[in-house]
Amino acid sequence: MIVASSKPFQEIKQMLSGFKKVCVLGCGSCVTICHTGGEKQVIELAAQLRLSAKLEGREVEVIEDSTLRQCEWEFIEDIREVIQDCDAVLSIACGIGVQYMAERFPKIRVFPGLNTTFMGGPTEQGIFWERCAGCGNCILGTTGGLCPVSRCAKSLLNGPCGGSQNGKCEVSQETPCVWHQIYDQLDTQRLLATMETIVPPKDWTTGMENHPRKMILEHLVMKK
Amino acid sequence: MTVTNTCVTFDKKINEEAPCILACPIRQDARDYVQLIARGRFSEAFRLVRERNPLPAACGRICTHPCETKCRRNSTDAPIAIAWLKRVLGDNFSEETRKITTEKYPEKIAIIGAGPAGLAAANDLALFGYSCTIFESNSTPGGMLRMGVPPYRLPRKTIDNDVEFIKKLGVEIQYNTTFGADITFASLKEDGFSAVFIGIGLIESRTLNIEGVQLGGVLKGISFLNEVNTTGSARIGKNVLVIGGGAVAMDCARTALRLKSHKVSVACLESRKEMPTTDFEIEEAVHEGVVLYNSVGPKRIVGKDGKVAGLETLRVKHVFDEQKRFNPAFYEGSESVIEADTIILAIGQASNLSFLKGQDGIQITRGGTIVVNPATFSTSVHGIYAGGDIVLGRGTMTESMAQGKKAAIAIHNALRNTAIKDEKWAEKPAVPEVLPSRISFIKKEQKQEMPVMPLEERLNSFDEVELGFRLNEAVKEAQRCMNCGAGALVDDNLCVGCLTCVRVCPFEVPEIKRGDTTAYIDGDCQSCGLCIVECPAKAISFKTPLEDCGRDALEAVFQEKFIQGVKPLIINFYCQYGVYYEDTIDAIDDAFFSHVRRVGVLGLGKVDPSLYLKAFELGAHGVVVTACKDDICHFCKDREWVERRTKFASQLLGGLGMEPGRLRTHFVSSQNGKEVLELALRMVEDMKNLSSGQS
Repeated sequence: MIVASSKPFQEIKQMLSGFKKVCVLGCGSCVTICHTGGEKQVIELAAQLRLSAKLEGREVEVIEDSTLRQCEWEFIEDIREVIQDCDAVLSIACGIGVQYMAERFPKIRVFPGLNTTFMGGPTEQGIFWERCAGCGNCILGTTGGLCPVSRCAKSLLNGPCGGSQNGKCEVSQETPCVWHQIYDQLDTQRLLATMETIVPPKDWTTGMENHPRKMILEHLVMKK
Repeated sequence: MTVTNTCVTFDKKINEEAPCILACPIRQDARDYVQLIARGRFSEAFRLVRERNPLPAACGRICTHPCETKCRRNSTDAPIAIAWLKRVLGDNFSEETRKITTEKYPEKIAIIGAGPAGLAAANDLALFGYSCTIFESNSTPGGMLRMGVPPYRLPRKTIDNDVEFIKKLGVEIQYNTTFGADITFASLKEDGFSAVFIGIGLIESRTLNIEGVQLGGVLKGISFLNEVNTTGSARIGKNVLVIGGGAVAMDCARTALRLKSHKVSVACLESRKEMPTTDFEIEEAVHEGVVLYNSVGPKRIVGKDGKVAGLETLRVKHVFDEQKRFNPAFYEGSESVIEADTIILAIGQASNLSFLKGQDGIQITRGGTIVVNPATFSTSVHGIYAGGDIVLGRGTMTESMAQGKKAAIAIHNALRNTAIKDEKWAEKPAVPEVLPSRISFIKKEQKQEMPVMPLEERLNSFDEVELGFRLNEAVKEAQRCMNCGAGALVDDNLCVGCLTCVRVCPFEVPEIKRGDTTAYIDGDCQSCGLCIVECPAKAISFKTPLEDCGRDALEAVFQEKFIQGVKPLIINFYCQYGVYYEDTIDAIDDAFFSHVRRVGVLGLGKVDPSLYLKAFELGAHGVVVTACKDDICHFCKDREWVERRTKFASQLLGGLGMEPGRLRTHFVSSQNGKEVLELALRMVEDMKNLSSGQS
């Protein structure tokens, strides 16, 4: 899933300064699951905005709503009525949702309440780790199911580097060295010999070097 | 009638009802009034009880409480004292809160007998809008409650209080009016009554067909009790033997003790475990000095000079045969004699159907009870209904009330040509037993003992033995309730299957079953509320509107006149479980607190951090959260959640530039002690000293 973190409140406040009627809009999928853009966070952020306005003696109306997914035209169309009188929408969806909102409602200012950070998942309640870089050319089959592109600080394809110390990355002692983990995993699978194979340079054009990417499923595309 | 003020939201997946409610013949909302008491909301609890129960004070004393037998707390320690909690309400509250219908129907209904069935029928019919007249042969109301139940178990004042409440609905009671003699079916018809409900009970004592029953000193149980209950005395000897093993036998024995008999014994066919009354009644009788002779059958009453001298008995082989029918068998040659100068027969009651003379067509059973349609309580004669012991044969007070209530609906339906139903009686599955693997997670909590009159004082009078809970004892007892069937409910339309509830529940209740996309919370939910707060999709809520997680209480604070002028204003969120932890209450609620308002929640794990922000938004200058220390935490795990939530809320407030000291959390031993008082007052002083901010 897409993981996003909350923007500092001061930044949000600054973005919204001067607006009299603001809708805080949550998204019911990835960012709900990562506890930054769900209904609960809508309530909390709206309460913060109201309280902030009260403390500063400003008059601001803050309304609260959510959609199932902000990255679907049909779902965001459902909230047209809710936001039509608003000066601004604070979308606490990922960057995709914010853009969908901005595109669908060009007359309303749409601001991001989150910083979209990575694709990953919870390893335990409240802790999320990056697991995929969207490189467009998956090699997990050769690395024991652990992704060196997203989990190695250098995205090395032939690791580990000399900075791997006691199973940790030299960049951060909190970060496990994924190449150490890959070694252990391949050992468990009796595939250590594959560590000897030198992986040639990767074609990065399938990944983030080639924006914007597009996918077409011909069999599903409908004539307009 | 249909009562809707405790609407429980059921979904198709968990249409389960609390076993305590299903076990009750009148489907009293046991769980809900217990939950209201747990929050100290006594008046609302009383109102709820009174809506279904016309005799709450009496019911709280002598009900056989099948609700407690079925209470799911049996699996962890001991059942909730549901009946005693109802008694607290009936004894201490009398606020008239019923919704009396403005609709008045022209039909008059005659009720025969002012016992539990008749009073219940009259109560409900009056609430429908009918004018009811109860015809009672005695000079006082209550039926068997007054004739049969001794005052030390059921003080007469409590019956009178309950009946007064019914009379306030406009129900008229004509005393000293015997059906069959003073009035008849024909006279009632002439007087314009459209329907008759017969609830005359079983007023005759059964007798034994053995040698010696005609001897002087042989008394009938109900007649004996009635005499004592009416006049305060009866002629009995110094060595009394009661024959019978039921509730009436226990009442006779304990009554005889109070009339200063030297020795009182009870002889019955049944073994101790088979006796057809509650353990509690037997234990109380034995405690007071009654001697039990179990598994003995009466062979003959031994006489001397025309008076009773004893009972010759045979040892019982078995009371019930292989088909479980009552068919006692005895050991031959096992005769022995229990000496006695008085024998009281308490082996059951029988009907007196003399009132049926001249009224053909009312079908009766071989046992002398009236045959009714089990759905409508209509007899075989149109317009004549019956219920209570005259139909049941041997029933309980609540079974009789249930029949009266059901008959009331049937009479209304027949007169108005409608088909209304009381949804409370709808068939529903019961919340199953607590899963054994979860029992260890549920904190064991001591059941409150009923305060009783000391033994040495009891036998000197007919004063009530059980003294009743004090209000704080009632709250403590009610707080043991697990809120079965009204816990957390997942809205499948909102759940995103994030697993948060599965991970945070301290009782390991929620799960996402294989193939499902949403969480499922079963009946073992303990209502701690952690999942409700943590759910990022706000897909979980409590099934009853009873639990608002502190929102209403907070809003109520700001409804207060001139509250915005209070500076500084401190809101104290506190755990209601900790309020009555100590026996002595300092009652800081009552103390003059110009700057502090309290918001109680049954477990602070239910409080969303956004509510702390809301308090500031509404006008508070400081919030002090007082949570219970680990050792007294009802849910055992609230502390860590309270800590991390207030830390999180502090961060949110910090983001607004508010001083960190405006939201404080403390863990205290009692929510009503000096500690809370000092913490709140310290905060008031600190807020006064804060130069910046709102104050």
